[in-house]
Amino acid sequence: MSGHHISSAKFLWGVAISLFFLTFLTVAVTWIHIPEPWNVVVAITIAAIKATIVAAFFMNLWWDSKFNVMLFLMSILFFLLLVGITLLDTLYRVDPVPSF
Amino acid sequence: MATNDESKNVRKLQVKRFKPEENPEKHYLNQEKGLWAWMTTVDHKKIGLMYLGSITFFFFIAGVLALLLRTELLTPARSFMDADMYNQVFTLHGAIMIFFFLVPSVPTVLGNFILPLQLGAKDVAFPRLNLASYYIYVVGALFTLFAIFTGGIDTGWTFYTPYSSSAAGGNIMAMTFGIFILGFSSILTGVNFLVTIHKMRSPGITWNKLPLNLWGLYATSIIQILATPVLAITLLLLTMERMLSIGIFDPAIGGDPVLYQHFFWFYSHPAVYIMIVPGFGIISEVISTFSRKVIFGYWAIALSSLAIAFIGFLVWGHHMFTAGQSSLANMVFSFLTFLVGIPTGIKIFNWLATMYKGSIDLKTPMIYALVFLFLFTIGGFTGIMLGALAVDIHLHDTYYVVAHFHYVMMGGMVMAFLAGLHYWWPKMFGKMYSEFWAKITCAIIFIGFNMTFLPQFVMGSQGMPRRYFNYIDQFQSFHQFSTIGAYIMGVGFLIMAAYMIHSLVKGKPASSNPWGSRALEWQTSSPVPLHNFEHTPVIINGPYDYHKPMSEFQLGITASQHAHHADKPVDISTQEKEQA
Amino acid sequence: MSQPSSVEEKLDHLQHHFIDSDQQFEASKLGMWIFLVTEILFFGGLFAAYIVYRAWYPELYLLASEELDVFWGTVNTFVLIGSSLTVAMAIRSAQLNQIRGLIINLWITIGLALTFMVIKYFEYVEKFEKGILPGAHYSYEGIAHEKANIFFSIYYMMTGLHGIHVLIGIGLMIWLVFKAKKKVFHSGYYTPVEITGLYWHLVDVIWIFLFPLLYLID
Repeated sequence: MSGHHISSAKFLWGVAISLFFLTFLTVAVTWIHIPEPWNVVVAITIAAIKATIVAAFFMNLWWDSKFNVMLFLMSILFFLLLVGITLLDTLYRVDPVPSF
Repeated sequence: MATNDESKNVRKLQVKRFKPEENPEKHYLNQEKGLWAWMTTVDHKKIGLMYLGSITFFFFIAGVLALLLRTELLTPARSFMDADMYNQVFTLHGAIMIFFFLVPSVPTVLGNFILPLQLGAKDVAFPRLNLASYYIYVVGALFTLFAIFTGGIDTGWTFYTPYSSSAAGGNIMAMTFGIFILGFSSILTGVNFLVTIHKMRSPGITWNKLPLNLWGLYATSIIQILATPVLAITLLLLTMERMLSIGIFDPAIGGDPVLYQHFFWFYSHPAVYIMIVPGFGIISEVISTFSRKVIFGYWAIALSSLAIAFIGFLVWGHHMFTAGQSSLANMVFSFLTFLVGIPTGIKIFNWLATMYKGSIDLKTPMIYALVFLFLFTIGGFTGIMLGALAVDIHLHDTYYVVAHFHYVMMGGMVMAFLAGLHYWWPKMFGKMYSEFWAKITCAIIFIGFNMTFLPQFVMGSQGMPRRYFNYIDQFQSFHQFSTIGAYIMGVGFLIMAAYMIHSLVKGKPASSNPWGSRALEWQTSSPVPLHNFEHTPVIINGPYDYHKPMSEFQLGITASQHAHHADKPVDISTQEKEQA
Repeated sequence: MSQPSSVEEKLDHLQHHFIDSDQQFEASKLGMWIFLVTEILFFGGLFAAYIVYRAWYPELYLLASEELDVFWGTVNTFVLIGSSLTVAMAIRSAQLNQIRGLIINLWITIGLALTFMVIKYFEYVEKFEKGILPGAHYSYEGIAHEKANIFFSIYYMMTGLHGIHVLIGIGLMIWLVFKAKKKVFHSGYYTPVEITGLYWHLVDVIWIFLFPLLYLID
């Protein structure tokens, strides 16, 4: 059955070690001062990879029903809608914060 | 875990016909007795009735507030309220109607009651969460009442900053915290419904045999779980704004008040679809039942609910055309707003096509459905007007807007709710109401409603701004006409309360299927047994297949067989069909 | 009602309106996932505020994040990922019927979560003493930007709300330990462990984004 996947201990440790490594990596890249805006891109990419690893292997989405995967993706999509459409306003205002 | 592996694709089920018992001795209303049993019940039907009591209470309160507002507006100058009082009353009218009546009403009352019945389930997936959501609603309501009695609020139901973040404004913290709590109730209901629809369907209920009411509730639940958390964080930030002056929204400390509006409308625009989409579901059921005809365009109606749910998330900025957002955002939002008209139009046309050449039976629920079609169409078209950027600049914050959303919310959602209430009333209580008085009342409410809100379109287009307790003399006749209409509507609702109570006490007993519907909830007794069905129902026809005999709609499993995984096709081997 | 084919199973946990354990388990897990969707959008509001203000004042974020201690942030990231590992191990123990292992793993998780909170506490105290408080109470002079208070409002809201989620997680885990000691869980029923695990991983995922967004702006 889906949802009853049992990971081996070795596998779970492997997942954790890769996460530890990526954490180290994301700190390490700040030492070489990548110019704007690529520093943000790199940081977010690494965070997204880490989040994907957690979701796929710790939260068992890899073996889970497709619908749960869809739910997870949908929440991200709607978050992006919230941010994206709000930025359509805030980035293109004449006066960023209206002064009172 | 190897459960029914032997059934690769098709499972064989032994079924026979179970005719519902007429007017059973024992049913959900009398099987568990006592106040305590009611208060701790996890039965979805009783929770639905508890919600019915609560929302009726709030509808009454907010309705009385509306009548007070209309009374004040009889004369151009001050009649009996001063401006501050007026501000508080319209704020409470809006906030209570929206958060305590419109948002919860259809899902929590009719949804809770009907959803498991239409799925053939014994209960919703998480009955205890369901009860918890009711008490969360009550706690939220208590906070709100507390806010009313400790200073009230006068910001309007939208709690815009900087009104709401400045020192004045009354006890906003209690109010926003109450609505923050209420959000959890809404989320829990949404979670419950989604899981129940996914996991608890009886054998044979595939996605294309799901009643349209459930498609409506499904779309609603999706909006609830995606939008409500954003309201929660917005109100939490607002509460923090007042408690710790964090300044994200408060311009006095360097924040951006328009950002608050973005966050607020990211919830509150989809929230109007939380209110109206389950109403669409009810209308689909009612129109098909009373036209004795298979619903026209099943998938078009089902998917347009989902389309409305999605598009509803793209249009929130049309509430902010004059709030100072960028002109690019204005244009995009105005364009996207027009898209909402498409799925809504699809629905209206499909309902009309369902009625075409049907044998229409003008019972009370059907009359409410027709009233809905008429009023909601007016509300929808005026919405398109307001979505047009240039027109909106003229009409923004006038009575035109007030009339528009009352046509959509009251003319649409409340009429749909009343259609559903009259439709399922016999199933809920096992009693019929007086058809005569119900029709009279419907006419009174229809007349009163139009008298109240049609003049407001005219006033609005001539420049009468909303939220003012006084006005220039030229609008007096409109306002007085409107006020008289409001009184007529009030009388209508009082008559409704009277005949409903009369029905409970002295109503004629209802048969299990008074409307001759083919839907599953009518294939069990009225009132419903404690565990809904005496057997696990099996579905072979769609819920609107009026061309098939009733006997094919009352099948149930004979042996205790494994019955979930509704998606798999079912092979029915009917025993000798039991004759009546 | 009917019997699932894995017969010798204990069925105390099965609620009457479900047909078998599988249906109940899948329903609970789906319910938890839907709840996690609401959690993501709940934090999403704060991330949106973060992004909007960062787009307006990129230089503010550069200056203000220097007040945050990268070392302790990194330590906390390691701590939380470690706790995610132990939760995953706890679920594995439950699936294999190793109740002792389940309890031990839960205790380690609680320990790590408390470590996280203690470190967070010292980070907060250090800032409070400098006068770095949210919004109108902000009185620190070290950042040459008029909107520095807004950055720290967002910082406190994000980490504070995340911290509250960690505390709730600790509470849930203590509850699980008590349940496990009463021998409620076994390989046929470990739904609460599984869904608490899902919740905990989500708290971890949110921190995975908070860490670079707040601490690592160089």
